[in-house]
Amino acid sequence: MKRLRLAAAWRLRTWAGRRHGIDTLPLTVQLRRIYILPTGSGLVLGVMVVAMLLAGLNYNSNLGLAFGFLMASIAMTAMHHCHRNLLGLKVDIGLDADGMAGASAPIGFVLLNDSAAARHDIEVRCGDGAEVVTAVAGGAARKLEVALPTPVRGVLDLRQCELATRWPLGWFRAWTYVQAPIRVHVAPRPGGSSLPPASAALHGERAQSGRRGDDDFAGLSPYTPGIPLKHLAWKTLARGQPAAVRTYVDASGSPVWLEYAALPGLSGEARLSQLCRWILDSEAAGQPYGLRLPGLELAVGQLGAHRTACLRALAAFVQEPGA
Amino acid sequence: MSDGTVTVQRLGWAVGCLVLATAANLEALPVWVPVAALLAGSVRLALAVLGRGAPPKTLTLLAAVAAIATLLLRFHTFNGITAGTSLLCLMAGLKLLETQRTRDIRVIVMIVYFLALAALLRSESFWLLAYLIGVCWLATATLMQLTVAEPGPGWRGALRASARLLLHALPLALFLWLLFPRLTEPLWSVAEDSGAATTGLSDTMDPGDISKLVLSDDIAFRVHFTGAVPPPRQRYWRGPVLEEFTGRIWRRSERARPGSDAQAPLPVTAPAYTYTIGLEPYQQHWIYALDRAVRWDLPHARLSDTGVLERSDPVSQPLDVTMTSVAGGVIPEAPDRNRQRRALQLPPGSNPRTAALAQRLRAQHPEARDFVAAVLGMLHTEAFFYTLTPPRLGDNPVDDFLFDSKRGFCGHYASAFAVIMRAAGIPARVVTGYLGGNENPYGDYWIVRQSDAHAWVEVWFEGGGWLRIDPTAAIASARVETQQRDDGATAMLGVTLRGRGSWLADLALRVDALRQIWRERILQFDQSAQQSLLERLDIPAPDAGKLALLVGIAISLVFGWLSWQVRRDVSPASRDALVRAYAGLCRRLAGAGLPRAVHEGAEDYAERIARARPDLAAGIRGLLRRYSDLRYGAAATDSPAARALARDLQAFRAPQQR
Repeated sequence: MKRLRLAAAWRLRTWAGRRHGIDTLPLTVQLRRIYILPTGSGLVLGVMVVAMLLAGLNYNSNLGLAFGFLMASIAMTAMHHCHRNLLGLKVDIGLDADGMAGASAPIGFVLLNDSAAARHDIEVRCGDGAEVVTAVAGGAARKLEVALPTPVRGVLDLRQCELATRWPLGWFRAWTYVQAPIRVHVAPRPGGSSLPPASAALHGERAQSGRRGDDDFAGLSPYTPGIPLKHLAWKTLARGQPAAVRTYVDASGSPVWLEYAALPGLSGEARLSQLCRWILDSEAAGQPYGLRLPGLELAVGQLGAHRTACLRALAAFVQEPGA
Repeated sequence: MSDGTVTVQRLGWAVGCLVLATAANLEALPVWVPVAALLAGSVRLALAVLGRGAPPKTLTLLAAVAAIATLLLRFHTFNGITAGTSLLCLMAGLKLLETQRTRDIRVIVMIVYFLALAALLRSESFWLLAYLIGVCWLATATLMQLTVAEPGPGWRGALRASARLLLHALPLALFLWLLFPRLTEPLWSVAEDSGAATTGLSDTMDPGDISKLVLSDDIAFRVHFTGAVPPPRQRYWRGPVLEEFTGRIWRRSERARPGSDAQAPLPVTAPAYTYTIGLEPYQQHWIYALDRAVRWDLPHARLSDTGVLERSDPVSQPLDVTMTSVAGGVIPEAPDRNRQRRALQLPPGSNPRTAALAQRLRAQHPEARDFVAAVLGMLHTEAFFYTLTPPRLGDNPVDDFLFDSKRGFCGHYASAFAVIMRAAGIPARVVTGYLGGNENPYGDYWIVRQSDAHAWVEVWFEGGGWLRIDPTAAIASARVETQQRDDGATAMLGVTLRGRGSWLADLALRVDALRQIWRERILQFDQSAQQSLLERLDIPAPDAGKLALLVGIAISLVFGWLSWQVRRDVSPASRDALVRAYAGLCRRLAGAGLPRAVHEGAEDYAERIARARPDLAAGIRGLLRRYSDLRYGAAATDSPAARALARDLQAFRAPQQR
């Protein structure tokens, strides 16, 4: 039974995907793309209404019949109100999401309700099982993140998300598909030793100086969110100047290169895990770094953005067969 | 979807709805059922307040088994309204006890809906319907509060949304109710609950019985005459005919049970009256009619051998019958030795003084008509009193009444008169029914109440049939023309409610007129009423296909209306008061020579105005600053701040510059 339902849902999803094509974001949920079906509780209600009408007919009770029809009519109206709860909702989605193998990737949504009426219990779903239920007050916007489980490294392309609601009475479920090319970059799970070992990371440029902690203060640069607070220039901040971070230059004056090729003892995935760990550690230590993968080189860049680029490169890396 | 949690508030709403729905069913439930359900509800609610969950499963299971077993012992079935309602009520209580998820609350709300229906199946009161629609409103609001996401609608919001839902649902419900085909026969028969207490005449008469009825202001039936209204002295509504006398009590003879010796309707002879009688339930088989019904529209009804219309099912629901009666004080009948012998039966040795009196009088008046006149004359001239509180009578009640107490009311006079006739060898029988009725000036119909209950006598005349004689009328014959016992009884009881002219009586009549409309238009709405309604809409001969088409059209119309309503709800902010107020301000400023450019945002516009009109600068800057903050911020558009700003925007004026 459940398998049947899943198969039906899958067919409907693919059919809706073909029907609507790729949506431009932000998307306004229109009439033609809202689907609605009774829920289990709604089906029970249907049986109950039929029983009520039969009883009313049988007892020849006009009031009983009237009440039965009132219930039927409430159900029909609830269907319209359920539909209304999605209609005209505006949705925007962050098309790139980052996660790590074994954890989850937060997919960012913005729901904008520019009507006066509040919208209750809107379910936002991505993939299987990842969902968030939220409410958007009248004339308000709501930001939310749906945590998509990401068990394995790689690039996950979600073509579709689902917005659904069962409000007001839980007897109907209205839903709509948003066809958006969401790319989820799943970086490898960090693993291996914690800091770039001299032998691997120094590869050439840093071969002579294996010490850490002798970095020189190089100056201040503007603060951007994501930089570890320990690098914040507290003194300048205390003087009322804009937040800045102290930047350091490695004593040797050159950045660290993190290289795939420099980890010959490990399997392909283990190398990626190790590189991931080093990227995170370098980032935390404020150590400029570059990444070299077979066929790809990411030169030293700004902290923060550079990390994202590196992790995405790790996620997208395709192993050579037999490597 | 993950389910919401069961909070004290949600439980409280469910318990409240359940209590209200059960209250509407109280009279049908054995006392322990609502008590048990209430107990279960309070236990669960107390646990919730203490922050504990539901009691252990085994406990609830045991309670369920015990409850169902007790119900089965009591009713032996779950078919029928009482048993079914009890079961529902207990189930709801037990469900409440084990409520752990919001799904359980949904089940309870479903039961609440069903309990509301059960109450409506048993009653026909307008107020009950209104009350139960109220319960339905609360139950629906309970469902609306079972949201997962915060903030939920809150109880105020839920009540508002639920009211809107109900209002939106009413038109469709009305269409469906009007157009849905009705059955003429029930689908299956159900155990009829006959425990309901009813007032009205029974098939025996102890003379004392009627005095209790006379005190009741309940309505027995309403009558609408088409055409002529019979004069007061012909308004005798015949009920059961009592032929068997025990010496004290009059009974219907067993042979007069329905179906025996049924007669075909007679041809109409003048004077005939056509009327519709709207009977309130009284759990008996006979149908009241003016003297002798000759035509009726009631299936399966037949005339009994005593000329009373009867049917096999008791009147257990309000019933409308349209019929034609011949009312002239005579029930024509061919001579039948057996029946006449029955109408002469007297228990041997009872009431000897009465028998002696009868024989003496009969010797003086051998002609039956003279004899009847003589007995009536005796009642008229001797000191007989009409009273509702007669003294107690002994073993020979007729003797005691005629010779000692000489005080009684219609039952006593009818009984005594019939005994005298029988003792003198003239076949006679007692008839009970109603006499008179009051016209409701606010509706074209008459009201006959239990207080109009009456007993009189029918006497057999060779060649004539059964002639109606009302011995009570002989006491004060003038009183039969105007409601005799009416004046007597109410004056004695000091009841002035029904006296004409009192505003209270007037109000009571108006309310009854409304009730009659409710009854005729709503409760009695059936296949033929449906047909005449459709004919008035120029849809002749509606069959199932046409009805289905009409229902389809009605549903699409209502759905169109609903979608429009709903679309209006979600149409973006152009209807928003703030935006409207801003547009109004822009219009006024344009009138003052400062139109807003299409591309211009509120603050840019304010700056330009400030440059052009330094006198307005401070005001307009602050106002439009607030506007852009609110409009593009995250605050809800119906916040108090937004409303205040909308007012300020509306109030802002740009005076013409000199």
